[in-house]
Amino acid sequence: MNFMKTRFVRQIVFYGILLIVWEGLALAQVWPEYIFPSPLDVLRSLAEGFRDSTFWVAIGISLRRIAVGYGISVILGGLLGLAISRFSIVKDTVGNLSLGLQTLPSICWLPLALLWFGINERAIYFVVIMGATFSITMATHAGVRNVQPIFIKAGRNMGARRITLFREVIIPAAMPSILAGLKQGWSFAWRSLMAGELLFVNLGLGHLLMMGRELNDMSRVIAVMVVIAVISILTDKFIFGTAESHLQRKWGLEIKRKASFAQ
Amino acid sequence: MSLIVDHVSKSFPNQNKILPVLRDINLEIQAGELFCIVGPSGCGKTTLLNIIAGLEPPDIGTTTWNGKRIDHISPQRLMIFQELGLFPWLTVLKNVEFGLKMKGIPAKERRETALAHLEMVHLVKFKDAYIHELSGGMKQRVALARALAMDPQMLLMDEPFTALDAQTRAMLHDELQRLWISTKKTIVFVTHNIREAVCLGDRVAVLSARPGMLKNTVPVTLTRPRRIEDHGLMEIVRVILGELKNEIEKTVRDEFHEDTVR
Repeated sequence: MNFMKTRFVRQIVFYGILLIVWEGLALAQVWPEYIFPSPLDVLRSLAEGFRDSTFWVAIGISLRRIAVGYGISVILGGLLGLAISRFSIVKDTVGNLSLGLQTLPSICWLPLALLWFGINERAIYFVVIMGATFSITMATHAGVRNVQPIFIKAGRNMGARRITLFREVIIPAAMPSILAGLKQGWSFAWRSLMAGELLFVNLGLGHLLMMGRELNDMSRVIAVMVVIAVISILTDKFIFGTAESHLQRKWGLEIKRKASFAQ
Repeated sequence: MSLIVDHVSKSFPNQNKILPVLRDINLEIQAGELFCIVGPSGCGKTTLLNIIAGLEPPDIGTTTWNGKRIDHISPQRLMIFQELGLFPWLTVLKNVEFGLKMKGIPAKERRETALAHLEMVHLVKFKDAYIHELSGGMKQRVALARALAMDPQMLLMDEPFTALDAQTRAMLHDELQRLWISTKKTIVFVTHNIREAVCLGDRVAVLSARPGMLKNTVPVTLTRPRRIEDHGLMEIVRVILGELKNEIEKTVRDEFHEDTVR
């Protein structure tokens, strides 16, 4: 408890100083205001953005895109990972390709997506899916491959076969690794989405950033960056954090070892 | 009703060589018997148990249960491994229910059965705990409850108590004998600990060093429940030790030899 308190105090002090230095530099007008806005300007832009609902609309659009794109990635990546684990022919072919594609930064798919689909939602979904799917695939495969043989032996001995064995034993046993992959996939998807919106696609938070630049409105640019960061932190903490602590409660310390397989 | 191991041999490929592990094993284990197998390390005890379980086939020979050939893994013959294989993602209760669920027993009934078996091993209080929250001895008891809840014909135990401290092991010896008396299951118990084998077994089969051959089967007629520190055990232990002395020396010599060659 005391430890937590110390940490909390340190963080408050650190961020406090950061804000004061920032405000001080802005007040001293070292750089012109349109290049270096004060924290208060940013706060004002934030309030304004939410009041005239441009931020809400952009958040809504970006979240919908990520929900659809990431959702498809989870299903596709998971199924592909299971198929790779189950059939050696899939592993030697599609698995190999996935490993190669995983190394390609997903924004590299944007030109191709634009030619194939045009400047529309499908292009952005495509980029998000290409960004997230393969890391989920690889983590699922790693998780399944590293399931302790004793679990499979015990499961089979008690009468679990084929699909049932997969559903009741192999997937739950691989869950810590799969979750690590889902988390990584999420962060890839989110980054791909922001990059995509910045570069081409209409609306969304990334687009709002670009608009801020075009209007020379630096305080708005920073305000949008704050919104993006907050969304990232909230998802990380609340969605993945909750899932992780749930698994940790079940598995105990063993989970650290299991999750490290996915790295 | 009996388990018959008939002229069973098994070898494994090992670095371009064929390594014989079991040679011409013949056993007849009666239904309801608590049968122990001892032997020096690497003598093929676990392989023999795997063959009885149907996890792997023998090269030569057959195993039959009530005249029916054993050729596949089955919930009728449940293995209890040293590492147990309890599922960390399930609670104690759900672990015990697992096999019943695989059998397709409805939720309410399997909960009742599982609870009854947790009661047998005095772990009802821990039904909602996860596996990592239990001590080594408690995990063993969950594994026993999980196996017995499925009402198998046979329990196959592969050095299940080896990793435990002496007191916990003694407690589990009591528990296992008590459960065996009340359920009358056929139990095949493999160990390298001669005292443990004599403490638990109606008969103790002694295997030689690799390749494992059956040297002798020693009956133990002492009254139950037996405890591992009972003086009565010592005499039989000494007999088995005498038979195994040369075998153990041979194993050690082999291992030394292998080491110097490398």
